[in-house]
Amino acid sequence: MATSSTSESTLARLLPEDVDAEQAVIHGGLVLSIFLMGLPLLLALIMSTQNTTEVYQVTNVGIGSEGLSNYGTVLGEYNFGQYMINSVVMSIIIVVGKVTLSLFAALALVYYRFPYERAVFMFILLTLLLPVPVRIVPLFDLMARLGWGNTLMAITGPYIASATAVFLFRQHFMAIPASLVENAHLDGVGPLTFLWKVLIPMSKGMIAGVSVITFIYAWNQYLWPLIIMTDQSKQVVQVGLRFLQAASQSGLTRWGIIMAGAVIALLPPLAVLIVLHKPLLETLAIQQK
Amino acid sequence: MPEFTKPYESRWQAFLLLLPTFAVLIAFLYYPGVETFRLSLQQTILLGTRKTFVGLDNYVSLFTSSAYHWSFAISVAFAAVVVIGTLAASLFVAYLLFQVDVGSSTYLIAAIWPYALPTAVAASVLLFLLHPSLGIITFVLESLTGTSLEWFTNGPQAFAIVALVAIWKQLGYNIIFMVAALNNIPETLTESAKLDGVGHLKMLYRVYVPLMSPTLVFLVVMNTIYAFFQTFPLVDLMTSGGPNEATNLLIFKLYRDAFEFSNLGLASAESVVLFAIVAILMYVQLRLSESYTTYA
Repeated sequence: MATSSTSESTLARLLPEDVDAEQAVIHGGLVLSIFLMGLPLLLALIMSTQNTTEVYQVTNVGIGSEGLSNYGTVLGEYNFGQYMINSVVMSIIIVVGKVTLSLFAALALVYYRFPYERAVFMFILLTLLLPVPVRIVPLFDLMARLGWGNTLMAITGPYIASATAVFLFRQHFMAIPASLVENAHLDGVGPLTFLWKVLIPMSKGMIAGVSVITFIYAWNQYLWPLIIMTDQSKQVVQVGLRFLQAASQSGLTRWGIIMAGAVIALLPPLAVLIVLHKPLLETLAIQQK
Repeated sequence: MPEFTKPYESRWQAFLLLLPTFAVLIAFLYYPGVETFRLSLQQTILLGTRKTFVGLDNYVSLFTSSAYHWSFAISVAFAAVVVIGTLAASLFVAYLLFQVDVGSSTYLIAAIWPYALPTAVAASVLLFLLHPSLGIITFVLESLTGTSLEWFTNGPQAFAIVALVAIWKQLGYNIIFMVAALNNIPETLTESAKLDGVGHLKMLYRVYVPLMSPTLVFLVVMNTIYAFFQTFPLVDLMTSGGPNEATNLLIFKLYRDAFEFSNLGLASAESVVLFAIVAILMYVQLRLSESYTTYA
């Protein structure tokens, strides 16, 4: 009896500490993993404040003498201000275009009766098999024939329709209760009013999620703009990073400038992710199905 | 699909609503997609002014070219390394996120941010930090291990570095899906296994990984597509395919054959091979996800 109560109290005394120790290891593991994942960015931030001499002192990892002036240099002298504007305009056109077109298509797929519905949906879905590298040579040819080289149309047009977005909106619309839809129809509501007054308000989270996915995807475009935009002033910021590699001062690569450019080119999608992570996570959870 | 009567009947309205999407998909996806096949049977000479039908010649030269064999082999190896590396690292972090008692939502954002990391930014930052003579990470690694990192001239090292950067960028996407999958596992299962005194690692491999397998298959497919199609900026900014072709992945070779050497017929044949790869992967994903849903 005595032994059992001792062992019980020992257990009671040990258990919380035991759990805490386990949680401490988990927290430690998380902090370490997140630190390692973020370390390159942290170092890039620090190096973006250094001048070329400081950069070439390998073990110098202090805040450099340039402060934030490398950012001014890269935005002005190296034209990143212009590239950022180009990227923002491109990404916004793609987001707005893709969301609008996909909402229309999903409205037709879910709320209209028409022949070959299944085939129409498959026709849209099958474009998943055609990423840019699969059609890059003819697409380049086509743009040349249309005279779209160096235009916004060339870097946005091919991206504003999407199987993924149509699929996601279709899934979402199908989950909306039928009674609600029938009520709307009994009131004699036209399709566009129905979309605007009923469907869109009920799909805010999904629209936000698709917008984040699309914005991050559009912002990341590199290969296609590199090929189709030969006029450097019209280039997007990701390809701008390629131009920066040539930046040098008395034969030394200006890494401080390059790091400043890299940080700038990361900020918009990172901000969008942080602000809108909730709808993003909810939307991705549906995408896998 | 819920059974309800579709409220709208007008066919021409449905047609109008679908028209913009169809127009874009046909003009910019299907038409160039089909053209790729046609161009792959042609040879372009005199800077694209004359095209002649050459049948399967482009495919024959691809399949007999040792440079293409090499590029194909290292692309497959690259995909394997990236897929395995990404899954292992993400599973580790996702499992910790799943187990942590407080602060999980803060940790989650701090762990998934690489989803927003543009590939070209990842390449620029690590090109510098891992620079053989200037990189601070190189310096630390060399002091710790006593080896020297010479990846500007050493092929296998360059391959490993590019793969590492590819993995880093892909962690966020994988962690998002893995955490979601772990949170979907019924708690009763976890509880009963815990009562049986099963350890953490054993739990992961015996209980969680099998239950997550639909998500893991999905991620294998998505990561493979990523490794083949989205890694162009890494090669372009970090190695230009070198040293000694060690990082000349299919996507980079395609770009060069098409836009540097203007060999459009050959490049189109390379696009067709990439199409075959993505088609096989999508098919695998579709079949496997179907087999899972019939189980459920």
